[in-house]
Amino acid sequence: MFARSAIATRSAAPALNVIGQTRNMATLKEIQNRLKSITNISKITASMKMIASTKVTRAQRAMKIARIYGNVSSDFIEQAEVKKADGAKELVVVVSSDKGLCSGIHSSLSRHTRKYLADYPEAPVAIIGDKAKSQIQRLFAQNMTYSFNQIGSTIPAFDETSAIASVIISDKSIEFDNIKLVYNKFASAIAFETTEIECFPASQIVEAPGFKSYEVQEEILENLNEFLFANNLHWALVEGHAAEMAAKRTAMENATKNAGDIIQRLTLQYNRGRQTVITNELIEIITGASAL
Amino acid sequence: MSFLARTFKPAAAFARVSRQAATRLYASEASAASSGKLVLNFALPHQIVLSSKEVNQVDLSAVSGDLGILADHVPTIEQLKPGVIDIIADSGAEKYFVSGGFAIMNPNSVLNINAIEAFKLEDIDAQAVASQLAESQRLAASAKDELTKEAAAIEIELYEAIQTALSTKAH
Repeated sequence: MFARSAIATRSAAPALNVIGQTRNMATLKEIQNRLKSITNISKITASMKMIASTKVTRAQRAMKIARIYGNVSSDFIEQAEVKKADGAKELVVVVSSDKGLCSGIHSSLSRHTRKYLADYPEAPVAIIGDKAKSQIQRLFAQNMTYSFNQIGSTIPAFDETSAIASVIISDKSIEFDNIKLVYNKFASAIAFETTEIECFPASQIVEAPGFKSYEVQEEILENLNEFLFANNLHWALVEGHAAEMAAKRTAMENATKNAGDIIQRLTLQYNRGRQTVITNELIEIITGASAL
Repeated sequence: MSFLARTFKPAAAFARVSRQAATRLYASEASAASSGKLVLNFALPHQIVLSSKEVNQVDLSAVSGDLGILADHVPTIEQLKPGVIDIIADSGAEKYFVSGGFAIMNPNSVLNINAIEAFKLEDIDAQAVASQLAESQRLAASAKDELTKEAAAIEIELYEAIQTALSTKAH
């Protein structure tokens, strides 16, 4: 008697808790399907994390070299104390890439660019990479000059850099004095910062206080400036690539961890549901048997 | 070796010789007190050849002419043409063939060289150079548009420079 009432109360309880707690065969199937799909997703994200990890180590090595290369190149700019002219017009070059799934990499770049464009709405913009392009194009389509894609799947090589640099520089219809390179600096394996590199025009180099100490042939100044821009762009591209790979690795690691959590939760749900079904069947059998 | 030649091409674009009249801006200020040693930074986009190395003398092949840089040389900016960079240190001399770039001598006796490609002379295959040179000459002769002609002319300049470098080394 007592047992029956206890069982009766227990079977009543799930029915009272209506929201998503009704345990029957159909829900069990749903949970099973969800479990299968999430397990597949976690396998995919785990393998993407592995791929990103190997890419990170290689990208970091290239980044160390590119950083030194860029620093050696801009050493002269620092020593000569080249400054930005007042009211200089800037061309903003956004260094992002085509691939997603790397947490805030591209949105951080677009946010930074949009903030700058809010202050200088006339500034021309060149975008490297489709992801940032789609984000910036929504609000600032009239500022866009050039966009480049097919970048970011491999470590950028200097011939890619020089191709991009020549396109930007050789278009004389774009008016600008300075070039502002917006890229993501690799702060650590789990953090990046959106930073800028400032590239000056040859006229500013000539104005620099330290420039008077240097002996130089005037014709090569323009070549030098283009070279410095290409070097800075290369640095930004390689470091941006490294930052993106690291962010992708972290994003995939988090995704795998989250998928694992969901799998655990769903498995518990599934088992509890299975047990409830069995319990209900038992109740039916027992009540049926005791009725005899 | 043809990969080597092809990666030289865009690099050589920067080493294009300017044919205008030369205007040389001279240093109007003397640099700080001498430190005695020449510090060399030699960097490529994909490789750091030398970093903060103390050397005695560096011979460069610049667009404005060949020059040798010693410690506390007058600060100067030179565009490099395809040629040999000879680095003489206490540990010995090293020669690299560079496709082009810039060499900047700073007032603090630091010489910064940014080049696109640099290879030791012994790593260059003379036969590949000869065949590539013939190819470029053929292209320059038969090319229809200005751009291909210009590109071929740059390549010819580059390969001839390599050949000169290799032949002087052999002697």
